[in-house]
Amino acid sequence: MNRRKLLAYGAAVAAAAPLAACGSNDDDSSSSGPVELTISVWSMDSTPEFKALFDAFQKANPDITIKPVDILAADYPTKVTTMLAGGDSTDVITMKNVIDYARYAGRGQLKDLTSAATSSTFSSANGLDAFKQDGGKYFALPYRQDFWVLYYNKKLFDAAGKTYPTNLTWDQYVDLAKSLTAGAGQNKVYGTYHHTWRSIVQAIAAAQTGGNQLGPDYSFFTDQYKTALALQDGGATLDFGTAKTQKTGYASMFETKKTTMLPMGTWFIAKILADKKAGTTDVDWAIAPLPQRPGGTGVTTFGSPTAFAVNKNAKHSAAAQKFVEFACGPEGAKAIAAIGVVPALLTEDIRTSYFALAGMPTDETSKKAFNPDKINLEMPVSDKTSKIDTILNEEHDLIMTKAKSIDGGIAEITSRVKNEAS
Amino acid sequence: MKAALRVLLYVVLTVAAVAILVPFLWMISASLKRNNEVLTIPVQWIPTDFQWKNFSSIWTQIPLGTYLRNTIFLSAVITFLQVLTGSFAAYGFAKMRFPGRDALFFAYIATIAVPWQAYMIPQYIMMQKAGLTNTFWSLILLQAFGAFGVFLMRQYYLTIPEELSEAARVDGLTEYGIWARVILPLSKPALASLALLTFVNTWNDYMGPFIYLTSNDLWTIQLGLRSFVGQFDADYAMMMTGSVLSVLPILLIFLVGQRYFIQGIATSGMKG
Amino acid sequence: MADVLTAAPPTAASSPPRRFSRRWRNTLIGWSFILPNFLGFAVLTLVPVIAAFVLSFMDWDSYNAPEWIGLKNFQRMLHDESTKVALKNTAYYALGHVPLTVLAALGLALLLNRKIAGVGFFRAAAFFPYITSMVAVAVVWNMLFNPEFGPINQFLHFIGVDNAPGWTTSTSWAMPAVIVTSVWRDMGYYMILFLAGLQAIPTEHYEAAKMDGANNWQRFRHVTLPGLRPVTFLVLILLTVQSFKVFDLIVVMTDGGPGRATLVLSQQIYRQGIVEGEFGYASAISLVLFLLVLVLTLTQFWFNNRRERK
Repeated sequence: MNRRKLLAYGAAVAAAAPLAACGSNDDDSSSSGPVELTISVWSMDSTPEFKALFDAFQKANPDITIKPVDILAADYPTKVTTMLAGGDSTDVITMKNVIDYARYAGRGQLKDLTSAATSSTFSSANGLDAFKQDGGKYFALPYRQDFWVLYYNKKLFDAAGKTYPTNLTWDQYVDLAKSLTAGAGQNKVYGTYHHTWRSIVQAIAAAQTGGNQLGPDYSFFTDQYKTALALQDGGATLDFGTAKTQKTGYASMFETKKTTMLPMGTWFIAKILADKKAGTTDVDWAIAPLPQRPGGTGVTTFGSPTAFAVNKNAKHSAAAQKFVEFACGPEGAKAIAAIGVVPALLTEDIRTSYFALAGMPTDETSKKAFNPDKINLEMPVSDKTSKIDTILNEEHDLIMTKAKSIDGGIAEITSRVKNEAS
Repeated sequence: MKAALRVLLYVVLTVAAVAILVPFLWMISASLKRNNEVLTIPVQWIPTDFQWKNFSSIWTQIPLGTYLRNTIFLSAVITFLQVLTGSFAAYGFAKMRFPGRDALFFAYIATIAVPWQAYMIPQYIMMQKAGLTNTFWSLILLQAFGAFGVFLMRQYYLTIPEELSEAARVDGLTEYGIWARVILPLSKPALASLALLTFVNTWNDYMGPFIYLTSNDLWTIQLGLRSFVGQFDADYAMMMTGSVLSVLPILLIFLVGQRYFIQGIATSGMKG
Repeated sequence: MADVLTAAPPTAASSPPRRFSRRWRNTLIGWSFILPNFLGFAVLTLVPVIAAFVLSFMDWDSYNAPEWIGLKNFQRMLHDESTKVALKNTAYYALGHVPLTVLAALGLALLLNRKIAGVGFFRAAAFFPYITSMVAVAVVWNMLFNPEFGPINQFLHFIGVDNAPGWTTSTSWAMPAVIVTSVWRDMGYYMILFLAGLQAIPTEHYEAAKMDGANNWQRFRHVTLPGLRPVTFLVLILLTVQSFKVFDLIVVMTDGGPGRATLVLSQQIYRQGIVEGEFGYASAISLVLFLLVLVLTLTQFWFNNRRERK
């Protein structure tokens, strides 16, 4: 027993030691002389927004040079968690999703940015609410907020003799998708493509019915699952099992014209623009607002913000905060909008300049789609979020592959959330 | 009759080999496509428009040369150390008798059973405190002293008759001499398989380099390949191009190493 | 335990008067062989592993100081449905993967341990699955297993099976599909170990058996199998351990799905630890996994030893 305790204390000391070791940072409040700022980012080469932000910032602050810490996108949270556990001193940490943010903030690994977040510059930023922690504190600022729209292929609509979608209900959308489906085998063109993510059913249902994905009542999923399964049963979209196991790419489906419509996030705009420029696709596209549940008013969609935070162990804390405020402010917004990325600070000016980009559709519906009435958060944040997220993912699989009925699946979600995440 | 059997054997082997290689053929096919043609339903085995330029543009899209050099360096050093210390320690476990030997050996084996997900963070904290993260040292130290090599070599040594060592002792050889002059030459097939498997595992390791190597100029090939996976999508065509290229050095090593698996070589030394 | 492990033949008996010093000398020399590897191993693997085990009695978020909570993590496990599912799935996987891989690897090794033209090519082909990109493996095998247009089900329809399984899209057939894929992937790896083992069997033994009129099967049964015993033991232990730790293949091929049909323990450890940030609980699960494998390994050691003595 004694020995075990000793070991326990040993482990405790070993774990706590890096905290002590990294408690003292360089004091750069005087900010004299050049500073090298380190910023953790994912897949630098395939995520051009980072370079755009860094270039703009360095131009405005010639005494600060930025050294990106490039981390692979697929396992970004794993590495950041590990680095922070070791007491790493990277200055700015990019928050890839809100769930991980809540965890880092909860552990006290991030610097308090409340005063900046509540200032007039940032209060209008989309998705800021997602970063509000207990006690009204903020530990990160969003710089980009994508939201979901309906992409469609104009040529395929013309060929089928249908008018372009404007503001559909989900039932109209299902009928339209069925009537747009044509061909068979190798040459089949689907009316629409639903990617395998659970959000396409669950986050939409939550946003448009006001349901809460954290429970306890999940009956609001029912209608949206009926819609999704109706499309699948009617052959108007690739079946879930195939899409999931074949790792079907939504970009492939749309860019190689295998689908006429595609509900997807606005991040896909930058990708289509880039691919058309590179000549890998010639798809003629536009966007429309996401279809709606009947009875609602206006266009409600959902989205998820990404943000910058300052590491509590940062070597250059003041310079780091300077960068965060720059990147999330109007100048940063301008820099990323110029390459087709949707900033969190989406002002009228930014929207106008966004649609002025080469290759963007110019019709009114597209512009309207880009200005939804309400953007709900994809998944509410609490300390239960990731547990519930896992349950929702697993049961989504089962409902979509018809291992469970809609009602059976929802009942299972309800009881699992109650038992496993409470 | 015998000839017919032989032909049959070849037919069976060839069919089996092709069947086994189907996923690899898919890799090659994907490496010659545009990215948005890779994951189509149904699978298209022959690209409509061969993208040979994938194989040249990958060298400029990512610093593949640097990654390749790093990977070769790491794999070679780790394999060398693993084979050297593993075969050395295995002699202690297989041919010497001393108290605590078996308990110690069991500790070796037991740690193989612990999944890396469990001790990754404590290990990282240690490395960080030693100031070794973001250097090749961290990976070399972590992977060169594994239990795998010790276990493999020990099991092989057990098959070598004890009389050989005894005879050498009578001839006045020390234990080190026996290891170097009698046992090692007899264990070429085991050394070859240990070297081969260690090399391949190091070459294909992803999580280790991902966690420990941060600077881009220290990255290995596997990190380079995963860098084609972005936040919302992935460039599978380029990933497969890189995968095809990264298999070639392993193939070379394999063809060299497998020459040691020929009956008769090892046993000839044991006669008499 | 020390007794269980005694597999090495004894060294020559030493004469009584010099016994003590001889024993010390032997210990020293023995340690000197082991030390270079052991130092690195102890500091870099053993210490973190022990730290992880201690953490299983604690509550730890990877950053703030851990807190001792006794057996709470283990109590929690008793009520954690996902961990129980993962445990069951892992055992299922191991039960399928271990015997099938041993058979396939041994079969390949015997087939390719002969002097035939192009043996290098065939061996390379058998080893290729192990070095083929995991993404390619997942995509192609999922395609082969596709319920509608996959060749496997088309074949099953052809031979008259009406309700062919849904494989990776079905909760009851996903695990068999994963097992088949993993056997295909790993057989070449273990073939290498068997090939090395086969070289250690003296050819004279085969010749002697032939002289005694033993047929192929008898030679395999009485010469090959006993000669391979240490290597078979190695392969069995490694395979058992690796089956219980399976991670990459499952993540890429099914990610534990559909639902929780292929969720395995190391995935659960990863999710609880790295993803959820509950490192104490994750460590507790890994301690259970470790003990389970330990029991299996000890059993194998015990069997191996009994055979060795016969």
